[in-house]
Amino acid sequence: MIAPALIYLGIFFVWPIISLAMTSLSTAGGSVFLPTMKFSWNFGNYTDAFSHYQDQILRSFLYAIVATVVCLVLAYPLAYVIAFKAGRYKNLILGLVILPFFVTFLIRTIAWKTILADDGWVVSALGAVGLLPSDGRLLSTSWAVIGGLIYNWIIFMILPLYVSLEKIDPRLIEATKDLYSSNTRSFTKVIMPLSMPGVFAGSLLVFIPAAGDFINASYLGSTQTTMIGNVIQQQFLVVKDYPAAAALSMVLMVIILVGVLAYTRALGTEDLV
Amino acid sequence: MPNEIDPRFLARLASNRTSRRRFIGGSAAAAAAAVLGPAFLAACSSDSGGGGDEEASDSLRISNWPAYMAPDFVKGFQDKEGITVDYKEDLNDNEEWFAKVKEPLQRKQDIGSDLAVPTTFMAVRLQQLGFLSELNHANIPNIDNLRPDLLEASVDPGRKFSAPYMSGFVGLGYNRAATGRDIKGIDDLWDPAFKGRVSLFSDTQDALGMIMMSQGSSIDKPDEASVQKAIDLVREEKDKGQIRRFTGNDYLDDLAAGNLVVAQAYSGDVVQLQADNPDVQFIIPESGGTTFVDTMVIPNTTQHQDWAEKWINYIYDRANYAKLVSFVQYIPVLSDMTDELAKVDPEAAKNPLINPPKEMLAKAKGWPALSDEQLQKFNTAYAAVTGA
Repeated sequence: MIAPALIYLGIFFVWPIISLAMTSLSTAGGSVFLPTMKFSWNFGNYTDAFSHYQDQILRSFLYAIVATVVCLVLAYPLAYVIAFKAGRYKNLILGLVILPFFVTFLIRTIAWKTILADDGWVVSALGAVGLLPSDGRLLSTSWAVIGGLIYNWIIFMILPLYVSLEKIDPRLIEATKDLYSSNTRSFTKVIMPLSMPGVFAGSLLVFIPAAGDFINASYLGSTQTTMIGNVIQQQFLVVKDYPAAAALSMVLMVIILVGVLAYTRALGTEDLV
Repeated sequence: MPNEIDPRFLARLASNRTSRRRFIGGSAAAAAAAVLGPAFLAACSSDSGGGGDEEASDSLRISNWPAYMAPDFVKGFQDKEGITVDYKEDLNDNEEWFAKVKEPLQRKQDIGSDLAVPTTFMAVRLQQLGFLSELNHANIPNIDNLRPDLLEASVDPGRKFSAPYMSGFVGLGYNRAATGRDIKGIDDLWDPAFKGRVSLFSDTQDALGMIMMSQGSSIDKPDEASVQKAIDLVREEKDKGQIRRFTGNDYLDDLAAGNLVVAQAYSGDVVQLQADNPDVQFIIPESGGTTFVDTMVIPNTTQHQDWAEKWINYIYDRANYAKLVSFVQYIPVLSDMTDELAKVDPEAAKNPLINPPKEMLAKAKGWPALSDEQLQKFNTAYAAVTGA
């Protein structure tokens, strides 16, 4: 019965991972543009990856954490309103949340370039009220990159949160009221704990792709905001140093995995997922 | 008449050559490739006839960049030579195209084209890998019309493998309204007034050539030390926050929007942009700039070497070539084009970015052929700055 699933995982998960791991420990030989990979337990690829690109690795995780937290703060009230307060507008609001995602990722990101342009109205408006110094800019800053990450991934926070909030039995909330609980207490004691699976799933769905993202950094960022995804992309497609790129990918994957495990421990959500 | 529209402007809109070739063709394909990954490239190649034992083609198959051709030009050739041409605009990106054709070429299988127009560095790579057919000059008498500097270029002395198609400058583009002054050379790039509003190319040769020249290094025989010296300068300026972005061909929209005030630029792009925004200027830095040349090559899997050579010969006829240049607005690779160009398009003949005077040509140099190892070394060193 589970054979199809196993075959699928074997072909599309296990094999590529093994191949990536092998490449990350290989030495490139042959001609530069028609390279042949030679497996050689070359752990130097990993030490090189760390020593050359630790800034980008740190920056990626910092951006991803900030983006995840902001997504959570913005998405929770929205999901709450959709689940409990929207009434007959529920489907409409959900539709509006999903609507922008009918347009491709790339186009939406490039649109922000126009909105945040140095001579654009956002920058001049912020400058006029003194929120930006006169020579300040938004585009090509860390804020633009983090903003892009939030914008592009927030839907993956809203939807799981909405699902977990929507699933809460309203009779439980009524029960808290019957027992003279304040709104705050019924939220912290009942709603929040019951929505933790949504928080957990949403955070992972935002954090993991955000940490590996390179589109936002390359279109909205500058030379000071490169993320690890940009480095991997460049190593694969421009420099064509496949072992280095593979080693960086493995590093990214392992760090995310460790982070996710720690997060699972901290939230104690093993039985929730 | 208020509704009168400059016909040249319309022609530019219609042709939109540079922006499609350099901008959309470059950045969008690169972005798509970056997003979708190598699978996308592989998928692209599957429908383009990379297969093995195909029946002999009864037409001359040409692969060129989008909108890099004049209307009716192909028809003119067909009528004159009686050869059917299967003209395809399937070159979008040198590296992407290479990824597509390298496997069949290695196996000596037909790649679906008898003539392709990669940029010089790619032509050199193909030749070093032994993928190209030698040109039979007996079939190309018009090759004598080539500019002498190109005919004897060190990348391919005597033009045995690659026949130049169009050329362009790599220099500086700037927005005169934003800079408030004329830009003269590389030092202007580092002016603190332009902090965070300057871009360099991410392509190693296009970016570093003019910087090396500004440091007194020569690119004729580039050594690691002089390349590294240029890279160190770029790193220093990057760390200061002077450089906003390392760009592919996507500097154009930032320059037009005013996000960039000075950018490393391709001449053809600026000719294009000037139609919309006359404030945008192009200069070759005082210390020198570089040129790029797209070249016609014949893969050794061709089925119609003679026909491909006839095509090259037809293009190298000055009257024919003038029609081509007036439409695509790049720099001619043939010498003494002024008269023929003036007959077809007097405006283009006067534009120094299309018909550059000798002094201007003298300021621009082409890179020599670099070995794979050299190029890889330089690429890796520069990527450590641009990618980090």
